[in-house]
Amino acid sequence: MRILLVDDEADLVDAIARGLRRNGYAVDTALDGDEALAKATWTPYDLICLDITMPGLDGFEVCRSLRQNPPEGVAPRILMLTARDTVEERIRGLDVGADDYLVKPFAFDELAARVRSLLRRDPGRTGAVLEVGALRLDTATHGVKRADRQLDLTAKEFTLLRYFMSRPGEVVSQEDLLDHVWDEHADPFTNTVRVTVGTLRRKLSVEGESSLIETIVGSGYRLVEGGAGS
Amino acid sequence: MKPVAGSGLNTRKSHRLGSIRTRLALLYSILLFGLAAIVVGSIYLSLSRTLSDEPVSRDARYSDMIVDAEPASADPGGDSRPVGGRLAAFEEEVNRRALDRLRTYSVTAVAALFLGSLAVGWYVAGLVLRPIGRISSVAREISATDLSRRIELGGPDDELRDMADTFDEMLGRLDVAFESQRRFVQEASHELRNPLAVLRANLDVVMADPDADTDDFRAAGEVAGRAAARMSALVDDLLLYAHHERTDSRREPIDASTVVVETIEDFGAAASADGVALQHEVAHELLVVGDPVALRRVLANLLSNAIRVSDPGGRVRVTAGQDSEMVWMSVLDDGPGLSPEDQERVFQRFWRGDRASAREAGRSGLGLAIVRQIAEAHGGQVTLRSTVGVGSTFTIWLPRFVDS
Repeated sequence: MRILLVDDEADLVDAIARGLRRNGYAVDTALDGDEALAKATWTPYDLICLDITMPGLDGFEVCRSLRQNPPEGVAPRILMLTARDTVEERIRGLDVGADDYLVKPFAFDELAARVRSLLRRDPGRTGAVLEVGALRLDTATHGVKRADRQLDLTAKEFTLLRYFMSRPGEVVSQEDLLDHVWDEHADPFTNTVRVTVGTLRRKLSVEGESSLIETIVGSGYRLVEGGAGS
Repeated sequence: MKPVAGSGLNTRKSHRLGSIRTRLALLYSILLFGLAAIVVGSIYLSLSRTLSDEPVSRDARYSDMIVDAEPASADPGGDSRPVGGRLAAFEEEVNRRALDRLRTYSVTAVAALFLGSLAVGWYVAGLVLRPIGRISSVAREISATDLSRRIELGGPDDELRDMADTFDEMLGRLDVAFESQRRFVQEASHELRNPLAVLRANLDVVMADPDADTDDFRAAGEVAGRAAARMSALVDDLLLYAHHERTDSRREPIDASTVVVETIEDFGAAASADGVALQHEVAHELLVVGDPVALRRVLANLLSNAIRVSDPGGRVRVTAGQDSEMVWMSVLDDGPGLSPEDQERVFQRFWRGDRASAREAGRSGLGLAIVRQIAEAHGGQVTLRSTVGVGSTFTIWLPRFVDS
């Protein structure tokens, strides 16, 4: 899940980006509206956290522009972050196309919960827990289990698995993974995707368990249900 | 909740109005009753005295009449009294009855008058008090949040209409004052929310991270320090702004040229550190009435702005002088200047041309708003002339003090 974080307060952006990365999201940042719009045009973000009061284009304008000329693929969810708390401002924010609204100052945990909630509003999924075959992933507590075995994953592996589990059985290309699991700092020419997928695959299956991630040569990877035990 | 409170107030209202109405009606009818009683009483008294003091039969003109009538009215039955005496008794009886009747009529009339005046008084008092009832009921409906309503009494141009109009004017002023207060509080809270959000997010994230090391905490501490410094600068300026919103601050005749020269001296070091030449040309004896601390603040705000926008090698020029009515103080810079749109917004609260760098420098965005506020509180104004690429000139105009 890739998130674009937009605010003109660099100190705020840094802290939230760090927190969200620890929660297993790929996070890009922008310090003003123009930069945000440019990044959102090129990258299919899953979620954009958007401040309203910014120099240049403000949050309302960025939001309106994104809704009027949506980037290709699935439209990003938009969460407005703002110091303005009047009812009129909230209504205006929601009316220009925001999905949710959070007033500053906020507890980071609340932001994280809203981000989770917005990102799981995908068709067919409503809870915080993803299940594919014997795999069980809790997006709130970050617990991952295969059958009864607890898996110990890094933040990046967790993000990768969550992405696979939200598209069970689908072939996911390396570009998809770079777009949604890695952030703007990833070098597309390294083998970081291949390496992380390999590590995740090994952690998912121990001693004789069937492999859950298939490599489809020439097109990408696929998560399969596999057997629970052997 | 509201209807209950309203009905409670209404009872109180009718009770109060009722009591004043009763008092007016009673006063009116007692006065009328008193007057009528005095008039009727004195008529009665003078009449009774006239009738009893001088019996008609003793009048010399009528004594012949009595003698003439004597033989005719001789009573064979034998009244021993002379005819004159009997006539007098008859006359007394007639007078007594007339007085009795007069008394009865008078008392009845006065009592009826009392009742009638009570009713008329009650009605008239109600009529007079009705606009007052309207005024107080509207006043009660106007809560602090809805000051937009007015009494709009209408009707003849009398004392009550005058009172209602005065009340409406007061409501208008209150409305403006409350609205600006509300907007100010709202803007101030928005401004405080941003550094608070920075503070909270940084602390939340670092505290929740089990892997955070000393460097992470140190970094969060530095950010928190910056946010706190920003908030305290903001609070200082907010307090300053709120202070100057009152108009009762110190006022004394002062020489503005001294204030100007001293402020320029204060900024000498800052200007040379930034490589900005600070020049001045200040006339002597610029007398104005005002608060020297506030005036110093005005000049300091203008000077620090001018030095900030000037590039190294630039020049800031301060001039001050007077004409027959006004004293002026002018700060000229050769910075980037302001576009016509920005010239309109530059005095607004919390407007910053360069939000990000203003924040880092801990500027509140209140500096020029304070300048304008102080100038206006001194009965003066601030003007701005600016051309993009050439520079800006801010000028303060204050009424000149003439010692009479």
